[in-house]
Amino acid sequence: MNTTMRARERRSYAIRSVVMLALTLLMAIPLYYVVISSFKTQADMATSPFGLPATWVFENYVSAFMNENVWRSFGNTIIVTVFGVVFQVLIGSMAAYGMILRSSRLTAGVGALLVLAFCIPMQSTIIPLYRLESQLGLVNSLTGLIIIYLGGAVFCYFLIIGYMRKLPMELLEAAKIDGAGPFRIYWAIVLPLIRPILITVIVFQTLGTWNDFVWPNLLLSSAERRTVVLQVFNAMGQFTTNWPQFMTITVVVLIPVFVFFLFCQRWIVAGLVAGSVKG
Amino acid sequence: MALTLEAPAVDIGKAARAARRPRRGRRLTGDGVASSVFLLPILAVFLVLFAVPVVQTVYYSFTDYKGLAPVVNWVGFDNYVQIFNDPSLLVGLGFTLTFALTTTIAITALAIPLAVVLNRKFMGRTFARSLFFFVGVPAQAIIGLIWQYIFSPLKTGALNSFLVTLGLPSVPWLADSTLAQFCVIFVAVWAQVGWHATLYLAYLQAIPADLYEQASIDGASRRQQFWNITMPELVPALAVSSFLLITGGLKIYDLAFALTGGGPGYATNTITQQIIQRGLSQFDYGLGSALAVLFTIACLVVVLLQIRAATALTRRYS
Repeated sequence: MNTTMRARERRSYAIRSVVMLALTLLMAIPLYYVVISSFKTQADMATSPFGLPATWVFENYVSAFMNENVWRSFGNTIIVTVFGVVFQVLIGSMAAYGMILRSSRLTAGVGALLVLAFCIPMQSTIIPLYRLESQLGLVNSLTGLIIIYLGGAVFCYFLIIGYMRKLPMELLEAAKIDGAGPFRIYWAIVLPLIRPILITVIVFQTLGTWNDFVWPNLLLSSAERRTVVLQVFNAMGQFTTNWPQFMTITVVVLIPVFVFFLFCQRWIVAGLVAGSVKG
Repeated sequence: MALTLEAPAVDIGKAARAARRPRRGRRLTGDGVASSVFLLPILAVFLVLFAVPVVQTVYYSFTDYKGLAPVVNWVGFDNYVQIFNDPSLLVGLGFTLTFALTTTIAITALAIPLAVVLNRKFMGRTFARSLFFFVGVPAQAIIGLIWQYIFSPLKTGALNSFLVTLGLPSVPWLADSTLAQFCVIFVAVWAQVGWHATLYLAYLQAIPADLYEQASIDGASRRQQFWNITMPELVPALAVSSFLLITGGLKIYDLAFALTGGGPGYATNTITQQIIQRGLSQFDYGLGSALAVLFTIACLVVVLLQIRAATALTRRYS
């Protein structure tokens, strides 16, 4: 009886392994297709899209790395993501701290307003915000993009306050008795204490900001200001006759995302779950 | 010398004490002030990026504001009437709703069994978990572009040339309205199923193993265990995942725009694309705003219904 059960378990393990291997490979086909195409010539890519390259070509990578627009787009995206996320997290965590400092009619009101803001889809503010940016002369500037991304502070606030409410309040009380002011408590005690959620929020928002397409596409018109995603999008139009070049740029652009994923996978998952607990 | 040295020393001590006393007083009652100061930045964000724009959108939706012309006229519900008489705009609304509903159902139906399998042991489990998750990480716009090459309706398109080598006819993937809609939905499912499986997996891992041990001792089959132990424990995850899917689905833009450009015709136009194109590119702020208002109302209704369904479900199982 015991041996038949073990045999059955071994068989189902084998079946699961085979089925999941097949499924995983099937899922990976588009990724394989992009990578393999980047080593092909145009003709090779057209005749055998999923086969190995007839001859391995590396010129696509040489010209992708020589393409200064690609490098510049990395620079732009890094600037926008760093400033955007730092300010979002700062504003969101400050608000969360302000909410737990005391409960009053003010904090209750702000809490209600922020729930409201959270329910408003981005689509309903897109036209006035674009108009505002053009009135302020911020169209086609990275500053304008960063300002738009500050809206993400509301999401950060919701993730952070859930965590902050669970902090031991005696710790903050003790710091207060020792003479620390509210700003010092925020900076020296609260922020270090909420580090796990801060990392989660930073990783999650970095991904969202880095990947955004709507606002860069609306705001950024000149080639020098493009973010990475916009650069790839434009490469599509630019290399209509040179597919492998487009695939190569896509690979180059996805490498940092892949590295980020390797190092931050568990934080992305944590953000997914934390965000879900709040939702 | 000694005296002059001593005098400021005393003064400093006094000043320090004096400075400390009022500060302590302020601190006792000062949390309110500090609290407001900490809330100021987010209030500014709320005002500038949410409240004022929403009010403006609602206002524009009742006007013929064109962005360029200085004259703004109140036109009542004209923009709304125009939307309901314009088939090209209604198609966008229809496709957005179809997309949100079908992706929610398909992803949920696939992600739960996937998570159950990913939770059991098999060869290459870590790799499979990572890969399923990773395809959801790159920007949706880039994902859309990659799949555009695969689904290209030309004979040279990747999938079509593969079909041709198998001796099958080529398929007009993105050139046919229904097929194009299917392709957008398919790619969205492909990209997101791993994320949601991961979400379910997190909840599965929290189920205590002795629940299953006890059940097997009591003679419950695997199927019974799934329906009576696993599913009830997954209800909170289901509520969350479907909430994320339906709200995210309504907001679809990047993926469809990159994959099909909204075509063929208006087949895969999304509301967001229409708000941007009619409202901003064609300077019809009034019409675009009316679309945005309708979209916001639709979102709120769907979200309320979803929350109600999720609460009912959660209550039944707890």
